[in-house]
Amino acid sequence: MARYSMLIDLTRCIGCDACTLACKQENGTPLDVFFARVLNVEVGEYPNVKRVYIPVLCNHCEDAPCLKSCPNKAIVRRPDGIVILDQDRCRGTGACVSACPYGNIYLTRVDDRWYLNSDEPYERDFVKKRLEPQRARKCTYCAHRVDEGLDPACVVACPTTARIFGDLDDPDSVISTYIDEQREQTGRKPFKLLPQAGTKPAGMYLGVMADQASSTLGEDAPVPLPQGVRTP
Amino acid sequence: MATRHAVPGRFSKPKPDENVRVVRTTDSPNCTGACGWLATVVNDVIVDLKPAADYPCEAYNPRGCLRGMSMTHLIYGPDRIKQPRIRIGARGEGKWRDASWDEALDFIPDKMIAIRDNYGMESMLLFNQVVGTGYVQKGAQVRMASLLGLSFATAYDFNGDISMGFTQTVGIDCVECETKSWGHCKTVILWSSNVFQTRIPDAKFLTKHAKQQNNCQIVCIDPRCSQTAKGADLWLPIHPGTDGLLALSLCHVIINEQLVDWKFLEKYTDLATLIREDNGQRLRASDVGLGEEAEFVVWDEVRDGLFVLPMDSLKLPDNVRFAFNGTREVEIEGKRVRVTPVYDLLEDEVMQPRYSPEEAASLTDIPAETIRKLARDFALQRPSSIVIGMGVNHRLHGDLTIRSILLFATLVGAHGKPGESVSIYSGQHHFRLDVSSWWFPNGKRPNSVPMHYFVIGGPTETINAKIKYPKHGIKGLMVSHANPLVTEFSGPLRKAIDDTELFVAIDFSMSPTCEYADVVLPAPTFWEKVDLVGTSCHPYLQMQQEVVPPQYGSRTEFWIAKELVRRVDPTKLKDFDFTEKDAIQLMLSTGGKEVEGITLQQLECGPVRLKVHDPECGLDEQFHEDKLFPPRAYPFPEGAQREFLKTGRMEFYKEEESYQRLGETIPIYRPAFEHLPEDDQRMPLSIVTPHSKWRVHSTHSNNPLLLNLNRKPVVEINPKDAARRGIRDGDQVEIFNNNGSYQLWALVTEAIKPGVLCVDHAWWDRYLANGKYHAVHTHQKIKPTHETYFLPAVYAPGQHWKDTRVDVRKVN
Repeated sequence: MARYSMLIDLTRCIGCDACTLACKQENGTPLDVFFARVLNVEVGEYPNVKRVYIPVLCNHCEDAPCLKSCPNKAIVRRPDGIVILDQDRCRGTGACVSACPYGNIYLTRVDDRWYLNSDEPYERDFVKKRLEPQRARKCTYCAHRVDEGLDPACVVACPTTARIFGDLDDPDSVISTYIDEQREQTGRKPFKLLPQAGTKPAGMYLGVMADQASSTLGEDAPVPLPQGVRTP
Repeated sequence: MATRHAVPGRFSKPKPDENVRVVRTTDSPNCTGACGWLATVVNDVIVDLKPAADYPCEAYNPRGCLRGMSMTHLIYGPDRIKQPRIRIGARGEGKWRDASWDEALDFIPDKMIAIRDNYGMESMLLFNQVVGTGYVQKGAQVRMASLLGLSFATAYDFNGDISMGFTQTVGIDCVECETKSWGHCKTVILWSSNVFQTRIPDAKFLTKHAKQQNNCQIVCIDPRCSQTAKGADLWLPIHPGTDGLLALSLCHVIINEQLVDWKFLEKYTDLATLIREDNGQRLRASDVGLGEEAEFVVWDEVRDGLFVLPMDSLKLPDNVRFAFNGTREVEIEGKRVRVTPVYDLLEDEVMQPRYSPEEAASLTDIPAETIRKLARDFALQRPSSIVIGMGVNHRLHGDLTIRSILLFATLVGAHGKPGESVSIYSGQHHFRLDVSSWWFPNGKRPNSVPMHYFVIGGPTETINAKIKYPKHGIKGLMVSHANPLVTEFSGPLRKAIDDTELFVAIDFSMSPTCEYADVVLPAPTFWEKVDLVGTSCHPYLQMQQEVVPPQYGSRTEFWIAKELVRRVDPTKLKDFDFTEKDAIQLMLSTGGKEVEGITLQQLECGPVRLKVHDPECGLDEQFHEDKLFPPRAYPFPEGAQREFLKTGRMEFYKEEESYQRLGETIPIYRPAFEHLPEDDQRMPLSIVTPHSKWRVHSTHSNNPLLLNLNRKPVVEINPKDAARRGIRDGDQVEIFNNNGSYQLWALVTEAIKPGVLCVDHAWWDRYLANGKYHAVHTHQKIKPTHETYFLPAVYAPGQHWKDTRVDVRKVN
């Protein structure tokens, strides 16, 4: 049986949010709901500052706390490792939202809000039908696509092919070969977010290769007058 | 490809949709990326857009970005214009009546005929964005202008995309290696270029190819730690406006450390040509009785005598060694005249102490050792490329800066090979085929008038004689798919529009420009019309398909143009007896060698590779075929650019009187803000206005999906500058100077240099806390050297928006 995982290569990722948008389109999520976010983080102080972009999504944990927390048994882990939140069984208790250490499950208690005028057929007939309102919702690794032999929407849409999806149990899958290749060529080994949470996430990352250094005259240098400014 | 299955976890699955079509098309926004898409259409509604990822060469796949993908929310968005509108209140008052197409198409021609009869048809000006992105539809408007005798303002120069530093040096307004070429680099300098935001589909050639495969060194020069700095090894937060000084300091190091590639300079540059001391002109072969006036001479050390440069090819005999230094005397008409090679003059300038890394360090805020190492790495860790961004170009002295950057790369010969180029991806002027037969019926071109002169109220004293500014001024303006009232000179432009008798806007969204129009005509988005699309980013020609018919009451530009011709001058209608596909076929059959053999049928099946090198490195004809510079600028005939690049080589010396008068015959460093009025100069902060990740210029400003991620206009400000003004993160603040002010919200961030503010370009006014966006921008100004010659959008005035200085205060 397959064991699906998504590897995100942070060297390739440019923080462009194409994944975020592709996911919204594929899953028909309402206003303010994003299954595939990109965290835009600023680290350090000027001039020793770095920009860090971390795409996040459901990690499809092997030991998923959301699954254990649900009083309605609405969350199941498929044999291929994909964790599914059953929209019909969910009663919107929010237990899973609290249980997920990654904050990747969304529950909107108010009515969903949308983007377009309510009479637009696009949203009315095609988007709103995709998910149930007032239920907990999350990324499914686009299981509906995976079942048809397609990659998840965020993977297909990533303009830098930073997202690599596949079966870890298959040594010839794109993800397995990519991991081996990168270990050999760039010395990078995959890591997972919050390993201390003990959830055994399926999602993993490869690190940034760029040095991200900066060079200026530093703190002591006076801020020079703008060139061309004639001092009065 | 999309699936129409419901998201798993729902047991009551909806019935699969019937009547599903999947269409392969391309979009053509003004990012000029031209990405291929698969659109899924159900019951004539576009329900899904996914990258087509079908480029035959796998490296290009996939292309696309968040903006392209969220087009559904503009196609079906709340601001979509659904039928023609005619103003009933004052301009900009927002009072309209809906009109039928018939009514609108009577109203406009009546006014156009009145303008023609009272002032001449050339007093009606067409300004459409952006002609290079859609050869058929935008071309139809130009064809209409040609047939009816309208004036035509190319958007490219008014947008500030024109890079006069390139025109002056290589004879064409930009050089763009295709982005696949980046993948070969070992050293890349991104000089104020933020390609992770502006070239999203191409960025993979830096991250996945150059970095991951070559461990390329990527250097970002930018006052902001931009999104692209995320992928850089070294970020150099330069002091705004000092880029030219840094470039010449890099040249200083190259010369000092003897890293110059002399063989390259001999063949490809004017650096050995001789400059006469008596008049500052270049020595001609005719001066010394060795040939024609259009031939130039150098001193050959092998012959110990003058050598006439060939003017049919760049190829040189093997047994020459040009002199780059030393003043000599020649006899011209019986007089002894001292002549000196261009290189010697440049060396005199560049080796001055003010360009030494030590002195440059204190003004640029980049340490001397960093400057030295950057110069060495660029010269030695090859292949090396530079990508220049618009922040460098949008300055009055941007031309000097770009000439200096080109000099730096040229001294080490970093051009013309995979991974070696100096590129500026400044809008799509780089036409991929000759569109003349479609745009200019029977060879007739519209009267070209740069928009600048309209905005400043008429011609300057130094206007080029080739520009025929209408005798009675501009009395009518037709703007299509353009939003000039949210660009930097929107204030003066609004005033100029007030003097017109007709202002027509054609668009799909009710933009701030449409809000100010007399008549608004609804046009389709690029998902609703046929076009032919090329780009400089990749070598594929693509067809844009009518994925769904023009939505609501919209009509294509092609149809509107034809109807206007029918009503204004029916005798010209015979020259508009075309369909869109006829126009494509016409252009393919007359488009030149790049499209030879390409057929409409091939294009209907998917992307077709142009007949160009793989990868295109920029200036391919010069470096592969030894053809003289400049590369031809379509749609102008071969030779049209020769007058401003007489030597046929990269020119670092400009001999014309206008250059001599400004003291800009060779690239020098001029302080960026010296041309501003003193009151403006005293404002303490610089402001940069980069392209946003969330928009293509102002398109998508109103996209509800993208506004969900990018909720408010903010000004990025360093904590030091913020603290000094009592500004906290999230505060409402006012940016102001002597020209005006506007209000938005503060984003206090460590990722920007102290002394610099940053506001993303092209927010629509309605999203601001108060005021008009760009109200602070400095006045339109034209550098006289930009008027010495005129070739629309190739040699024409540029822009200097980044020279604005401002301050900011908290709004209580």
